[in-house]
Amino acid sequence: MAAASGMRDLAHRLLDYEVVAGKTSEPSVFATIRVYEKLRQSLSAFAGVVAFEVLAFRALTQAKSEAPGLWPVQIAADGSLQGLGEYETQIDMDKDLADKLPAGDGGIVLIARLLGLLLTFLGEASTLSLLRNAWPGETFDDRNSEQGRKA
Amino acid sequence: MSIQDKVKINKLPTGVPGLDEIVGGGLPEFSFNIVAGAPGSGKTTLAHQFVFANASPERPALYFTVLGESAIKMLRYQQQYTFFDPAKLPESIRFINLSQVVLEKDLGAVLQEITKEVEKANPAVVVVDSFRTMVRKPESDMDLQSFIQRLALFLASWQATTFLIGEYAEDELRDNPIFTVADGLLWLRQTAERNSIVRKLQVIKLRGQDSVPGLHTFRITDAGVQAFSRTFGLTARKRKPPCDRRLSFGIPELDKMLDGGVREGDSVLVAGSSGTGKSVLATQFIAEGIHQGEPGIVAVFEERPEAYAERATSLGLDLETPQKEGKLTILYLRPLDLSVDETMQSILDAVQKIGAKRLVIDSLAGFEMALSPGFRADFRESLYRMIFALTGIGVTILSTVEVDESFTEFPFSTYSISFLTDDIIRLRYVSIDGQLRKIMVVIKMRGGNHAKDIREYEITSKGVVILGKRLTNFQGLISGVPVHSDRSDSTEEPSLDTGIEHKT
Repeated sequence: MAAASGMRDLAHRLLDYEVVAGKTSEPSVFATIRVYEKLRQSLSAFAGVVAFEVLAFRALTQAKSEAPGLWPVQIAADGSLQGLGEYETQIDMDKDLADKLPAGDGGIVLIARLLGLLLTFLGEASTLSLLRNAWPGETFDDRNSEQGRKA
Repeated sequence: MSIQDKVKINKLPTGVPGLDEIVGGGLPEFSFNIVAGAPGSGKTTLAHQFVFANASPERPALYFTVLGESAIKMLRYQQQYTFFDPAKLPESIRFINLSQVVLEKDLGAVLQEITKEVEKANPAVVVVDSFRTMVRKPESDMDLQSFIQRLALFLASWQATTFLIGEYAEDELRDNPIFTVADGLLWLRQTAERNSIVRKLQVIKLRGQDSVPGLHTFRITDAGVQAFSRTFGLTARKRKPPCDRRLSFGIPELDKMLDGGVREGDSVLVAGSSGTGKSVLATQFIAEGIHQGEPGIVAVFEERPEAYAERATSLGLDLETPQKEGKLTILYLRPLDLSVDETMQSILDAVQKIGAKRLVIDSLAGFEMALSPGFRADFRESLYRMIFALTGIGVTILSTVEVDESFTEFPFSTYSISFLTDDIIRLRYVSIDGQLRKIMVVIKMRGGNHAKDIREYEITSKGVVILGKRLTNFQGLISGVPVHSDRSDSTEEPSLDTGIEHKT
């Protein structure tokens, strides 16, 4: 089952925030890693490193079924992401894969899955609270998260 | 130094209904408290309620979770409670997990981490849940007592009100040096009593203010923990001085027997066997009160309020209209695991809501059956507290009680509670001339010169109707099997001495 479109949209928004915050010319993988790191910092502080690590591992397992090219990606003991850069390089080289999954999409699937798990366990209000904590300058609207990205 | 110069300790709302009254008006600001109890006793929920009631963006709450419970799961479950306001996260309430520090380092590092976060956030409330799990490492550099002492000193200087949550068994309470550091110690207990769970809390220690001693029942509902004070929140109130005002039953002959009616603020017991008209009498008492402009409460345990009101209609008494007008509340209290304190709280809330002057409890047997088995042992003591509390605020209580009809004794109640009541009216069947007829007698009236007459009565479509004059031509009426006497002089006192045993 694919990640819910609402979660993908929310993941896109987070990536957009990071692209704007960073250099626009940098590869999308860095934006994905920055989103993931912010979630990791925020969630680890709140729930503990181990809790985040197991949640991220579950999200990655789900994401790999949707984006098989994520196979080299691993979750380290501290919950950090390893191997996402290799995945993006492979996508760039493999035209067949690129047709199915544009570069950066695997990262979005992973983030969407992670957000989906948070939503399942904590509910929308608490998940959005966590996001507000990680992205204090941004506005997270309940309706937007359900109905998709703002234009 | 004058009294005015003494430091004033602010009291913070606990966020737990009923607990403020128990702790003497709220928890002292900047106090260092331990909430102890077995797993599942409601410690975390209680702490959450305090946090949600007191945290603000300016003075947030820091909630440190340690090894005991996954913060994600804790939040998942806690947000089911109605007090949980997700909008307070994370500006007002911040959850911080210390499990890594605890696992990898020692208590010194934990203290350092807490210190760092407290200095950063300047919180009004700090919770460590659960602090006990931090000391499971034997090689820890700092012992728990030293850790708690330093934590208490630090947090007090930062003007934070603190809760440490710990799993403790009952026998760990004594001689535990950790508890000496705390300003407040709340103990939560839950025990299985036959098929019910009985939850009780105790304020074992609370520095600086007068808490209500003893064990208080509490319940965990959708709204979180709700506590029921043993004194029903009436400790601060002055008892209403006794008054000589008489309340009518709406039955003139009975009022005469009662020297003008029931004295306001009295507790009246109407005792009799099944079918003698106890509930009818109670209904007439409450209906007359409403007629006189005195709002009333009827607590029923054995029939539904609709049925109770319908039965009143058959007696020509309208209980529907006063209910709609807010002058009467019929409370149906039937769950089988109530505590007396919860029942009392429901009654008290209803009394206060409509300013009730009269209360009917119909019946004590039903009341007892509605209680959790564990509370039935305390029924008599609880009844005493309840009656004392309610009559103290001027409510006149009429309770009905079913007694077994006996032909060898004349019991007033099966609960040995007649000492709790000011007035006792006894109803009973008697066998006269091949008929099962009913008689009524006022057994006791505290501070009143009640009639000694034994009167026959009937239950008609107008309720209880007392017939004729006192029964003078019978001997041994209260035995239930009287014999005709030759006397027909209605002014002569009938003999009550039939040689049977009176039980109170």
